[in-house]
Amino acid sequence: MCGIAGFHHAALPGEDYPALIQGMLGAIAHRGPDATGHVLTPGSALGSTRLAIIDIEAGVQPLSDPSGRYWLCYNGEIYNYLELRAELEAAGCSFQTHSDTEVLLQAWLHWGPDCLPRLNGGFAFALLDRESDELILARDPWGKRPLFYAPHGQGLVFASEMKAFLALPGFSFEHDPEQLASIVAVWTPLPEQTGFRHIHNLPVGSWMRVRGQERRITPYTQLDFQARTRVDSEAEALDLIRERLRQSVALRLRSDVEVGVYLSGGVDSAVVALLARELSAHPLSTFSVEFADPQYDESAQQREMAALLGSRHHPLSIRHADIVEHFPAAAWHAEIPAFRSAFVPMYLLSRQTRAAGIKVVLSGEGADEAFLGYDLFKETLLRREWAAMDEQRRQACLARLYPHLGHYGSQDLAALTGLYQQFAEERLPGLFSHELRFQNGRFSARLIKGGGDPFQAVSALVAAAPGYDAMSPVQRAQWLEFRTLLAGYLLSTQGERMSLAHGVENRCPFLDPAVVELAAAVNLRFDDGMEEKRLLRQAFREQLPDSILHKRKFPYRAPDSAAFADCRPDYLDALLSADELAKIPFLDGKFVAALSRKIMNTPAPEISTKENQAFIFLLSIALQHRYFVQRAAPPVAPTVSPLGRAVDLRPR
Amino acid sequence: MSDKIRDYIEQQFLIQFDEDFPENTDLFKEGVMDSFGYVQLCRFLEKEFGFRFTEQEMTGNILTSLSRIRAYVQQKTAQGAGGPGAI
Repeated sequence: MCGIAGFHHAALPGEDYPALIQGMLGAIAHRGPDATGHVLTPGSALGSTRLAIIDIEAGVQPLSDPSGRYWLCYNGEIYNYLELRAELEAAGCSFQTHSDTEVLLQAWLHWGPDCLPRLNGGFAFALLDRESDELILARDPWGKRPLFYAPHGQGLVFASEMKAFLALPGFSFEHDPEQLASIVAVWTPLPEQTGFRHIHNLPVGSWMRVRGQERRITPYTQLDFQARTRVDSEAEALDLIRERLRQSVALRLRSDVEVGVYLSGGVDSAVVALLARELSAHPLSTFSVEFADPQYDESAQQREMAALLGSRHHPLSIRHADIVEHFPAAAWHAEIPAFRSAFVPMYLLSRQTRAAGIKVVLSGEGADEAFLGYDLFKETLLRREWAAMDEQRRQACLARLYPHLGHYGSQDLAALTGLYQQFAEERLPGLFSHELRFQNGRFSARLIKGGGDPFQAVSALVAAAPGYDAMSPVQRAQWLEFRTLLAGYLLSTQGERMSLAHGVENRCPFLDPAVVELAAAVNLRFDDGMEEKRLLRQAFREQLPDSILHKRKFPYRAPDSAAFADCRPDYLDALLSADELAKIPFLDGKFVAALSRKIMNTPAPEISTKENQAFIFLLSIALQHRYFVQRAAPPVAPTVSPLGRAVDLRPR
Repeated sequence: MSDKIRDYIEQQFLIQFDEDFPENTDLFKEGVMDSFGYVQLCRFLEKEFGFRFTEQEMTGNILTSLSRIRAYVQQKTAQGAGGPGAI
């Protein structure tokens, strides 16, 4: 794992190239504290800051082919690199190292962009062809690794994290109200969005060819949920689930350093941990977030699972005050506004993981999207049939979907019925599954002045998505989850941005192409979808404890606005001081003041989910504005990564 | 009655009714009301005006705007469903 950065024909003075590329890499050195390296050519610089995991001695970057024509800087892991290497060797390629970086370089030279669909992994890379002066940027299909770019002069600049651009003289950050309105309404950025004007995220599953001022982005894979595996029975489905997940975990245990597991207390990470223990040569290290606040805590299940695994378990206890203290640092690393505070504990968990000597972890992300783990999928199924149901059936379905409602009495069930009535028909074309969520998002969109229609961008995204029209309502819901919440928050803000803040690489066995494809082939084939991830649970029912097997989906959450109202940290002046607030011209001052007043003065149980979300969005926007737009000093000390390789190919 | 309901909605949902946000605005469509707020509003009206919504009433697109809520509450209280907060 690494961070990469560079520029290509940007308006930057040639004599400053070494300092500029080192400055960019220094800003993201937390991603790869083991060594930095760069190559300079006339008009270009590419560099990486490396977290050494495979072929620690020989895998230095940037890497070139023997002729010195092609130079590669690469961030991520190609889990099937041994198989690809064997194919390439059979085709006559020879290798100098044992690293996956060299496999990627040779794969590109041998297959060109056709190599991309063959790569099973999480990656982003930059490859320079010195002869044609072309730059290639590419990104994995899920959004495991980021790659941001921005036009600069006649060329562009790129980096794994936008903070690298702060090192470039004259580069200014400016929030884009239209993007922000979309982000807060949808909960996450869309594939190209960053929240900042003129800065783009390379869309997942795409590559870009840069030649002069010409930039062409080409998708190399589609998320189509086509069932390519024939499955005739539930028993066969369960066998295949076990087999493919086992294979996926085995691939992700390939590492020259120890691989740990994040245990959430839910079924997904428990499955990953079971398989990792079975396949590991050493005792497993596991890591978990525990909350002092019992409404968020899952430590009982985590500890039970750790005991079952016999792992060296490292629980990290989180209090309200920890969230408040570290929110600015986590928001700095996240760079993009967030709708909940749950990424902050993950920032602290990766610090603890690294301190325990572990720099690679497996986690359960992707299972909910692939195997239908969210209530949203069940709600979509129910709303789709709503109009055709009689009152009795509706009530029965709601009671099954929301068993906890029984505690509150029939009036609440009636209220929920009223809500479903409002959302039984599609209002936003193509977005039926997410309309309940998006309607609540409208509340957060009120934060932003001049944001326009906050759903215009997501409507355009699905309208342009190949094959989207032909998908079922649930598949569309999955597509949206993969492209928004998973890539835009779970894998990024809560995932790799937090883990790499402390040089820890996360790997997700559920995001293996063979696993996702299998899930598409078996979902809703052997049940009605109203019991979340039923097949996955069934597949591992013999090995998992009942407390985890039968636990209802418990969304990983952390204390939200109440923590800030309790602790009142100094940095809340960004919201509570009229002078500070005035520095952010696109915020609706009246609404912000009303929201802040309510959050600060209202007992936590009376704060609604949407108010919590709007407040966390507001706070992260205000702090990110402070660090990126106003250029206040970052809330974390810079990491230093030693210079390992410097190649200057410019004429003397 | 009108001001009580209006005040409640303005305070709970952080809005201000005016010419830009008239009383007949659909609170669901504007993202002002969510499931949590809907339940709270129902409870407030029941407590304040001393009646109970039937399930059918709660599902019948009644509580979507201030003007519709107000008309409905007037109708309910006129039917003699008086209580502690009745006028």
